[in-house]
Amino acid sequence: MADLLVADALEKVYGEGDTATRALKGVSFTVAEGEFASIVGQSGSGKSTLLNLIGLLDTPSSGQVLFAGENTTALGRKGRSRVRNEGLGFVFQFHYLLPEFTVWENLTMPAQIAGRTLSADERSRALETLALLGLEGLEKKNANQLSGGQKQRVAIGRALMNRPKLILADEPTGNLDTKNTATVYELFRTINAELGTTFLIVTHDRAVAQQTDRILEVRDGELVQDVRNDYAG
Amino acid sequence: MLSFKIAARFLKSSPGQSALIMAGIAVGIATQIFVGSLITSLQADLIDSAVGSSAHITLLPGDGQTTVPGNLAAEASGSETLVSTAVPVRTLSGIFVDSDDSVPLSITGGDAGLLDTIYGLSERMTQGSFRLGEGEVVVGTVFSEKYGIEAGDELDVLLPSGSPATYEVSGVFDLGQATANERFAFVDAGSAADALGMDDDEYSAVQIQLTDVFASSEVAARLADEFDVEAADWQAENEQLLSGLAAQSGSSAMIQAFVLIAVALGIASTLAISAVQKTRQIGILKAIGMGDAAAGRIFLWQAALLGVGGTLGGIALGYALIALFGVVPVPFSIRPEPGFIALSAGIGITVALLSSVIPARSTSRLDPIEVIQNG
Ligand SMILES: Nc1ncnc2c1ncn2[C@@H]1O[C@H](COP(=O)(O)OP(=O)(O)OP(=O)(O)O)[C@@H](O)[C@H]1O
Ligand SMILES: [Mg+2]
Repeated sequence: MADLLVADALEKVYGEGDTATRALKGVSFTVAEGEFASIVGQSGSGKSTLLNLIGLLDTPSSGQVLFAGENTTALGRKGRSRVRNEGLGFVFQFHYLLPEFTVWENLTMPAQIAGRTLSADERSRALETLALLGLEGLEKKNANQLSGGQKQRVAIGRALMNRPKLILADEPTGNLDTKNTATVYELFRTINAELGTTFLIVTHDRAVAQQTDRILEVRDGELVQDVRNDYAG
Repeated sequence: MLSFKIAARFLKSSPGQSALIMAGIAVGIATQIFVGSLITSLQADLIDSAVGSSAHITLLPGDGQTTVPGNLAAEASGSETLVSTAVPVRTLSGIFVDSDDSVPLSITGGDAGLLDTIYGLSERMTQGSFRLGEGEVVVGTVFSEKYGIEAGDELDVLLPSGSPATYEVSGVFDLGQATANERFAFVDAGSAADALGMDDDEYSAVQIQLTDVFASSEVAARLADEFDVEAADWQAENEQLLSGLAAQSGSSAMIQAFVLIAVALGIASTLAISAVQKTRQIGILKAIGMGDAAAGRIFLWQAALLGVGGTLGGIALGYALIALFGVVPVPFSIRPEPGFIALSAGIGITVALLSSVIPARSTSRLDPIEVIQNG
């Protein structure tokens, strides 16, 4: 399958001079369309930094990110916003919902940002997603009236809504119990199988990583392992 | 339109803060409307009492002449469109003499109907009626009270020629000015001609009123030039009043400007606080693809909503203040002027929009990573 994502010699240095931290020291790998991969590593190893670069939320100190054949390093702020909206779905390490808006509005925000009115198809998909995430009946609730786990599930739903090519998830189930964690990964798997959506999931939970097809390990800002994993779901 | 929706939602999410700043704008705009209308009405009233019932321009005989021709009035009003009325008059100084006083009187003779167009005498009579038959005179209230002359009495006057004349008082007027009410008297054109020894076609002056009182200087200059006469205009004779009015306008403009600056600072600081409060939300929106411009527009819309809401409240409050002022007994009434109020509203909304520029800019520059990384 074609390469969806190419990370090429990505380096990230935070700060300058004596206090500079080399969070990434030249990380290269490619992800093909339809892959279901995880990034593991200890706290502070650079996982989030890597994900933020791939997600075009941050710019590398050197190296480049190619997404769907496009060199994103050359894109301006506008172009990067567009790619984020259309091509990428995010589930952040901390659930990031808009507290002034309802669950439904948060879920459909990516479509609203793109300036679209929801199609009947998207509506039923949104409802399905809510049901899948165990959030049915909560759509009119304000986002800040939800529990942490519920917020995280809405954020996951939002990442799925625009049918992005690549979903980047940073500890997506960090706040969820075992049962909900299992549900979320089942849902990821279903979407991956049915729509061919590519997943890149950051986790420090080995058990979670074992359920993915490929495990990338980051240690001290370097990619130290990249192994296929036979997952028999 | 999403920017608008988010702006409205942000405002709604902190109703107290939104209401407070709208109240601030409303008070500012109301102050502006009230002070502006007060000064405008006050000045209109002052000007009206200064020149509302007197000549704006007086045409006097030119060099070497002692009279002006009878047709000058008609010709002057024909040549200038701003002239609303032009009245040929004969003026003389008489001296009223009774047992212990001798009082100078400034007597104006002319056609009663024409004089009325300048002095509005028929509506300003406190005794008798405004009637100028042959040998009749009207005098002012102050004169009447001071010397005990009432409608129906006889008035003995010493004419400039030295000969005495007796007129019958047909009424007493109140021109709203103490000097005029003491010193002015009006007689018919014929009696004045007799007193001055003038022919039917000879007059001492033409008194003119204009539709625009502030055009008097230019019109006077043109008329003097065209008809070769002396032209005196009220502005030249009332420099003190005018500079007083100008100073008043200036200080009113300054009050209004400071009020607007206070309003602008209020909105700007509220929006700046709001921009900081909503940094996290803006970061999320940008992370999931909202563009910089759209993000900046959120604060522009917030400012617009606050500005429009506050301004509408301010107009209502301004009208209420003006209405309240109507209850207080003052010698003049404040009229709200739609044009001025529209201007205030426009300024209010513009100021609101301008004060959103800084928060809108910082919002559009915000990098989503700052929010995503800091949790
Ligand atoms: N904005 C920043 N400024 C300076 N240093 C930073 C910044 N962000 C991250 N770092 C440093 O870069 C390194 C990698 O951080 P990163 O957040 O990528 O780790 P992580 O693997 O995601 O850790 P965790 O599992 O705890 O989320 C760390 O040493 C961190 O201290
Ligand atoms: Mg992290």
